Formats: sequence, structure tokens, C-alpha cells
Amino acid sequence: MEASVSAAVNVSILAMSVIFTVLIILIFTIKLLVKLIPYKAPPAPPARKVSASSPSGQDDQVAAITASLAAHMGKRPDEFRIVNIQSR
Amino acid sequence: MEFSFSSSASKIVHSTAFTSLESGDALMLGVACLLIYLAIWKKFEPLLLLPMGFGCLLANIPMSMMASTDTGGLLNFFYQGIKHEILPPLIFMGVGALTDFGPLLANPTTLLLGAAAQIGVYMTLIGAVFLGFNMQEASAIGIIGGADGPTSIFLASKLAPHLLAPIADAAYSYMSLVPLIQPPIMKFLTTEKERKIKMEQLKPISQTVKIIFPVAVTIVCCLMLPGVTPLLGMFMLGNMFRESGVTARLHETAETHLINIVTIFLALAVGSSMTADTFLRIETLKIIVLGLLAFSFATVGGVLFGRLMCKLTGGKVNPLIGSAGVSAVPMAARVSQKVGSEADSSNFLLMHAMGPNVAGVIGSAVAAGVFLSLFGDVGGGIDTHAALAPVIGNPEPGIQALATVVDAIKR
Repeated sequence: MEASVSAAVNVSILAMSVIFTVLIILIFTIKLLVKLIPYKAPPAPPARKVSASSPSGQDDQVAAITASLAAHMGKRPDEFRIVNIQSR
Repeated sequence: MEFSFSSSASKIVHSTAFTSLESGDALMLGVACLLIYLAIWKKFEPLLLLPMGFGCLLANIPMSMMASTDTGGLLNFFYQGIKHEILPPLIFMGVGALTDFGPLLANPTTLLLGAAAQIGVYMTLIGAVFLGFNMQEASAIGIIGGADGPTSIFLASKLAPHLLAPIADAAYSYMSLVPLIQPPIMKFLTTEKERKIKMEQLKPISQTVKIIFPVAVTIVCCLMLPGVTPLLGMFMLGNMFRESGVTARLHETAETHLINIVTIFLALAVGSSMTADTFLRIETLKIIVLGLLAFSFATVGGVLFGRLMCKLTGGKVNPLIGSAGVSAVPMAARVSQKVGSEADSSNFLLMHAMGPNVAGVIGSAVAAGVFLSLFGDVGGGIDTHAALAPVIGNPEPGIQALATVVDAIKR
């Protein structure tokens, strides 16, 4: 095959044209797909209620844990507050 | 059998490879050690350069039967995977399984940056022809500018198998040097103000679009350029494993174990082709110089097109993401991020640069497809009779075979 610089330039121009053509077709394909199938955010998971104070029935447990923690950390019970207890 | 100590000792001495070691072999052992050094101590693409260097080491030990041309040798079997276009497409399957097209789908115009960066391929093609290579060789050398190892190996094995070793070596060496080659060019071609441009957050994309996209690319690109189907088809299949959500095991295998195993075979096979007679030639030096030019021009093309897009969009595109169009996933995108954050530490370009980065993979595959359409033997390379001969003997070709069958039926 003849390999002259002018032939290489011609091949380059042709090939770049083909590459741009193929990728422009892809751009329009993607734009069409995105338009036809828009993104829908997944439904948000149900919000969990977080109570500011301990629920009723846990007062005794809160008191016991507060006392234990206070003794363990060497602090007074009114220096910190337990807001929630969750069982695993 | 008579046993003589002196004759046996002499026989053992003469059976060692030292007696056959020539200066070329010794020099190639040095090249192999250099590759191993670069892989381990300089961290230059170690996953590839280490097995490639060791393959080169094995291939250049005389009488070891480990060169790619040694029929019946171990690495000759591995080399069949390159010769018959098996290993590069399998690597592409793994790369597809690792690729997220989300950033590209969110901003599809960045595909143009992947196209613009291919200018490096064609500038190198012209340079290679100027240096005396023929068109097939120049095409195989030019694709180094696509900064995509498997594509370079795929095209070299088809168009210029005798240049496979230096092309693969240059491609992977320069890919590892992307963080050194690109930043000076990027800084030279952009202003401080342009480097500080912050791009809008990418929109989320529907999962259905992500699933349809690989099919659409396969249909569009492979119908236009059938020669590239083994590469692009496998790339998109790997991506389907990832996005379909129903092939978790295949996805996991493709992106981990399969790509690792194939990388070992591919790198060893390429290393085994690095023998003195194929590597120690003036062409190798030319290819190494042309490879550097290829990467540089590819970066220039991407950044200049990025500047054009910046002007056309009224400053919404940071031109630094253009350099990621050279492929070399994900290193080129990381370089865009790094240079951008040097100008403004609160600028995050990584996800924006991933769009042109994966566009570069598609662009370089398309560039390879164009070369195959022009200079390859697409669809005509299989000799059916020769392929069937080991199974059914040597059938008579064409009409003669048909006539034989008709006669047999008549009888």
C-alpha cells in the first residue's frame, strides 16, 4: 500500500469525520433515551419517629442506665441526658 | 552405555543456555529487568509491566522455548490468545464491568471530547508515515494515542504483528506516565480562570437508560464499524453484567478474577514477543518517540476542544476535563481532578472528567474500527476450508465440493 504523507492526512481527515459522526449519533441516541425514560427518584423510606425524650415505660431503664453511666464516667447525672433507647 | 566423567561434564556444560547466550539476548534480559524495576520500584502500571517484564525475561533465555514464536512452548500457547483476538476482548469485558457510564449519560456532549482526543492517533499516523512506516504499521502505531492497551494490542496483532512488542510496551509505559505527560500541557493551554471553572452537578440517570445504553452502542457502532465488534461488543457485554442487576455473579467475576487472569496471560504473552530480533531495531526507538507524541497530541486535542466547548457554553465546561478524553481510565480523569484542584481546592472535576474518560475508550475503539475498515481484512480473514481441514479432512473448495455431494446423492 502506498504510504505518503498526503495519503495519511486524507485518511486522518476521513477517520476523524467518521469518529465524530459515530459519536454524534450516540449523543443523540443518549439524549433521546434520557428524554423518553426520565429519572424517577426512588420512594423515600418511611421516616422513623425519634422522640426527644424517652418513651413511656422506659423511664426506669433510663434512670438505671443514667446512674450507671454517671458512676462509670465520674460525672453528675444532670451533666448528660439519654434521649433514646433502641433494642436490637 | 559407557559413562565417562569428563565427557558427561562437558555435555552438561554444553547443554546450558550460557553457550547460546548472544549479546542481543543479554541486552533483552537487561530490558526485562528494567521493566520489572519500573513496575516494582517506580509503580509504572505494575499489574502489566511486571508480568510483561517477566515474560520478556523468560523469552530471552536461550533454549527455554518460552518466546512467543517457539511453537509448542508455554508462552506460545498464551500468545495464541493475542493472535486469535481472544485476550484483548476479554480484558475489555472486565473493563466494561468496571465502567460506570452514568457521568457520560448525564452529560453526553462530553463524548465529543473523547472524539477530539483521537487527534493524537492521527497526528501519530502522519508522523509514522513520515518516518517510513507503511499504512498498516502507522495505524497500529497511531492507536497508541488512544491510550488504551487492549485496543493497541488488538490492532497491532491484526495490522502489524511484527511490531506488537514495542507498541504494547510504549502504550503501557506512556499510560503509566500520564500524570507526568499531561499536566504541563494542560496548564500551558488553559488560563488560571478557566481551570477554576466549577461545573454543575450531574443529573441522575434512570437505571433503564443505563441498561439500554450498551445495547444501543453495540448496535450503532458495530453496524457502522463491524471490525471493532470483538472489542466494543465485549466491553458493552461487561457493562450489561454490571447494570442489568440480574447477573451479580458474572459481574463480580468479570471485574475481578477474569480480568486478573486474562491480564496475566496477556502481559506474559506480550512479554514473550519481546525478543532481540523483534525489539532491538531502529523501529522500536521510532515507536517510543511516536508514542510520546501520540499521548501529547491527544491531550492537546482534548484540552483545545474543551476550551471550544467552554466558549460555546458560556463558561459552563472546564476545559481540563478534555484531557481525560485520551482514555487511560481512570488515571486521566484523576489528572483532570488534580490540576483543577490545584487552581481551586474546592473544585471537584473527577465525576465530570469520567464522562470524557469513558468516551475516550469508545472513541479509541471506534478509531481502531476505522483503521480495520480501511486496512484490515474485516470478515474476509477466515479461510473456511483451512479451518475445517483438521476436522473433516481437506475438502475440495467451492463448486467442486458441491459437485462431489451432488454426485454422491445421485449414486
